[in-house]
Amino acid sequence: MKILRARFVTLARLGVVAILGLSASCTAPSSPGTSSSNPGTRDTFVLGLASEPDTLNPVLGYEPDGGSLLFDGLVRRNADLTLAPALAERLPDVKGTTVTFTLRQGVRFHDGTPLTSDDVAYTYQAVLDPKNNSGIRGDYTAIESVEAPDPATVVFHLKHPYAPILQRATLGIVPRRLLQGQSLDKAAFNTKPVGTGPYRFVSWTPGDKVVLEANQSYWGGAPAIKRLVMAYSADDNVRATRMAAGEFDATELPPKAAARFEDQVGLTVYKVPSADYRGVMFPLDAPVTGDKAIRKALSLALDRSAMVGAILTGAGRPAFGPVAPGTTWHNPAVDGTPTPDRDQAARLLDQAGWKPGSGGVRVKDGTPASFTLMYPAGDSLRKDLALAVASDAKKIGVDVRLAGLDWDAIEPRMAKDALIMGYGSPYDPDYINYEMFHSSFSGQGFFNPGHYKEPDVDALLEKGRAETDPTVRKQTYDALQQRIRDDEVWTYLVYLQHVYVVRGKWTGIAPAVEAHEHATGGLFRTLAEWKPAA
Amino acid sequence: MTRALGRMAAWRLAFTAPLLLVVTLGMFVLAKASPFDPVRQYLGDRALTTSPEIARQIRANWGLDRPLAEQYLTWLGNLLRGDLGESRSMHRPVAEVIGERLGWTLLAAGCAMVVMLAASLVLGSLAAWRRDSWADRLISGTAYANEAAPVFWTALIVIWIFAVRLRWLPPGGLTDAASGTVEPADVLRHMILPVAVLAFSQSSWLVLFVRESLITTLREDFVIGARARGLRERTVVVRHALRSALLPFITLLGARVPELVTGAILVETVFSWPGVASASVQAALAADFPLLAALTLLATLAVVAGNLLADTAYVIADPRVRVLGVS
Amino acid sequence: MATGVAGGLTRSRRRFPRGAAVTLVLLLLAVVLVPLFARLDQQLVDLHAASLPPSLTHPFGTDEVGRDVLLRAVYGLRVSVLVGLAAAVVSVTIGTLAGLAAGAAGGTLDRLIMRIVDGFNSVPHLLFGIFIVALFTPSTTAVVVSVALTHWMTAARIVRSEVLTLRARPFVDAAISGGSRRLRIVRRHFLPHLIPHIMLAAVLMIPHAIWHETALSFLGLGLPAHLASLGNMINDGARSLLAGNWWASLFPGLFIFLPTLAISALAQYWRDRSNPRWRSELQL
Repeated sequence: MKILRARFVTLARLGVVAILGLSASCTAPSSPGTSSSNPGTRDTFVLGLASEPDTLNPVLGYEPDGGSLLFDGLVRRNADLTLAPALAERLPDVKGTTVTFTLRQGVRFHDGTPLTSDDVAYTYQAVLDPKNNSGIRGDYTAIESVEAPDPATVVFHLKHPYAPILQRATLGIVPRRLLQGQSLDKAAFNTKPVGTGPYRFVSWTPGDKVVLEANQSYWGGAPAIKRLVMAYSADDNVRATRMAAGEFDATELPPKAAARFEDQVGLTVYKVPSADYRGVMFPLDAPVTGDKAIRKALSLALDRSAMVGAILTGAGRPAFGPVAPGTTWHNPAVDGTPTPDRDQAARLLDQAGWKPGSGGVRVKDGTPASFTLMYPAGDSLRKDLALAVASDAKKIGVDVRLAGLDWDAIEPRMAKDALIMGYGSPYDPDYINYEMFHSSFSGQGFFNPGHYKEPDVDALLEKGRAETDPTVRKQTYDALQQRIRDDEVWTYLVYLQHVYVVRGKWTGIAPAVEAHEHATGGLFRTLAEWKPAA
Repeated sequence: MTRALGRMAAWRLAFTAPLLLVVTLGMFVLAKASPFDPVRQYLGDRALTTSPEIARQIRANWGLDRPLAEQYLTWLGNLLRGDLGESRSMHRPVAEVIGERLGWTLLAAGCAMVVMLAASLVLGSLAAWRRDSWADRLISGTAYANEAAPVFWTALIVIWIFAVRLRWLPPGGLTDAASGTVEPADVLRHMILPVAVLAFSQSSWLVLFVRESLITTLREDFVIGARARGLRERTVVVRHALRSALLPFITLLGARVPELVTGAILVETVFSWPGVASASVQAALAADFPLLAALTLLATLAVVAGNLLADTAYVIADPRVRVLGVS
Repeated sequence: MATGVAGGLTRSRRRFPRGAAVTLVLLLLAVVLVPLFARLDQQLVDLHAASLPPSLTHPFGTDEVGRDVLLRAVYGLRVSVLVGLAAAVVSVTIGTLAGLAAGAAGGTLDRLIMRIVDGFNSVPHLLFGIFIVALFTPSTTAVVVSVALTHWMTAARIVRSEVLTLRARPFVDAAISGGSRRLRIVRRHFLPHLIPHIMLAAVLMIPHAIWHETALSFLGLGLPAHLASLGNMINDGARSLLAGNWWASLFPGLFIFLPTLAISALAQYWRDRSNPRWRSELQL
């Protein structure tokens, strides 16, 4: 036994030596960064964000709807979504196919060079240039050309009258000098962006964080928060825990993860309504989903309040149309009940000839009421919504079969199978809706996947786009929403609320109805105006 | 010995090149057979609002419509020149992505190996020493059970206990984001759970091996002979018993690199550890072929290197192999 | 390892592992019988019963959309076993063909096939599996292919080594000199000897296949996410773990852990009792 004990002791010593010796060689890899700052002081503010931007170059698609802290656009948005001039001196009138902006004087880029109309013209031209492969080019196709007749004037020539042109002018302006003549994909600018915004770029550690510091000579006044760190952490649970641990000063979270912060001292939870909706896109040329009675009955049978309560844990509201309540464009007449009305749904189906058949599935002229509903693999929210739709449909005798697929597998099937999709922009009703419902876009990729072709709807969309009188536009879009509802082109399920948790008390926080893509800054777009409440 | 080693290494390397060629060709063919559209991956969220005509233009710009053989040779040529391509999901050069993340994986995996070695040696010896006692049963039993438990499940249980209920340790991530540099203490705190889980999951075979090996070795002729010759216990243990007992272990360790990679993939994913292993999952979810191919190649190289290392160690440690030559 | 005076294998398990056998039988029974009595509608949710802790009506609780965890775990095990079986069959088939060709033909073909085996073995299984499913639509077929392509090498090795042994036996020489063609020798003489090895390899591959499928599903690369797969369930459960829902992750994991443990205990017992040479072969 003594022998064995001695061996054990030797081994134990060996083990300890091994741990110490080899641990010494486990050095932490250094990551590029700047001098450390004191966490928790008022001067540094750390944001925990879910998705890192692919690029910091507005021409390649960085925050085209404003909300970027590095860049300014010609205009910007107030909290009530009205436009205010930014780099432009005032909002121009929009009439006809020419729009003229006069630039604000004395604006400089972060590197000290002055802003001129050449930079504005270059920015828009670069977006439109096919060689640059900009992913947002499609949003600006109404622009024919951009001129800079003198250093303070920019003239847009449009291909056709385009009412939303001012909304599109939120695009961040880049300095022509740093980008012209280069291949945009490889430009040094992409890793060291220079803009005119309230924050200037310090560093970007991909996969980890972006560090910004206040632009002391900002034309709108220097921000109170001197240093901003945008940290990226894709996993929601991890972000929630890092927030709880004090690592972040503010973060965005899904509703379930934010629930634990509700009543904590020193933290405020903001639930910001959004125009971000989820709904069922129906292929209108397919046998079962092409029948309006099926679509309407399904809409009646859905328990939207349970979806909001269980799947969104209360952070959302039922949706009945593509234009969100809370925006000026919403038509209040387009509405519905959040709880299901299965009796009425059943009656509708009976009247349309869908009689109860075997296995609880309705049949009409030999065709069973059955279709496939797809959801994108990896999206658990859409998966849960699809499950809820299938469950509710079963109760009225409609058999919905689910398929979780990748987007590439979904694309070719959209003409035959239904899909849980999501969109939503609060800025202008022309955004996205034109491409969604106009017959000229029917079946083009992800535009109008349902093949909706109605000439009078086309007319409404075209009129809304070209008309500049706000009252007429409002009427047009009200009529559009009513028509979409009557035809039940989509069955809208829910509008999401975007949930944020903020540490400390601040003034200048201005929740506004948000868009579908989180990249537009959300609640943090006004960070330059946040000041600690006394 | 150096000649034998040199010969073996050269032989091995000669085989590695065609091996890698076959692996890359296989990957490329699979990627081409895939129905997934790289342009859609590149556009990401924007794909839903970009017209098909613009997508077609991007495709033409990238040369995706060229013949297959040409694309493969171009890709291979770039690879040999050191250009690993651009990651379609992270929109940065693949070499950059790997460069940033490899260090974290090596750190976590390296420390996990150290912990695993030390703990297995200690526990295995303890179990061999106190054979058939409650300690032995506990250690052996846990080792067997551990082999059956999926590592992502044990990771979640560990997170539940230590991060949710006890709140002693963070459930994931790398560091505190507020400071600009990496603070070792902070990384250490975030590292404890992932390293522990990875080490624990890889350790079963080693614990059992050490245990069995020691039990057997101590009964052997040469040990009894050494003791009979009056050698000190320490000499007996270290120079004779341990060396012989641990010999196959070094070889097996190098051969366990594939399991280590697998374990790293799952542990890094559960703990949101920003290493190359979790990057492979992200690349897979985004069908990002350039990044995924590079990472697969990297892992293959690691496996080959591990095997080479194991055989080298074997040659060095075992005089019989030296004399008789390497097969 | 040399054998010494006291030599031989250390006997750690000599008694028949009754507990393992009972567990396995119970689980198999559950997998076969439960679907006959309680049919699971894979698409039915009950949003009003979301995240309920374990109780009498729901022994394993409910998940975040109100589905009973116990019923789904049983179905999940069934799917995993079926996928595991299918994958094991496919991989053993490929492996047998390759091993037979290599062992029987010898020479260049043998060396070529062994190089290919080495090549496949050089890529870590899960990573290779991830690579395959990443590039194709998530589906049962993709998962089965992924498992098969990463595990056929073991069967190939076993079959090849058995064939090499058999080739050396006198009855083969007798058959050749008797005028039998090569294929006939393979069929009539080799296969009967190989069948038990092949079957054992297939059975032992099932836990690996199950593990591989659940790992892929956990990562979101396996079976479609709304289906009851143990990996999917743990993936869903992980999301609500920090919110306090431990039952949705724990119980599905248990259903992977228990059968694997049981099978490995039984395999260990079988191994210890029978041919020691198998011990190295079956280090799967």
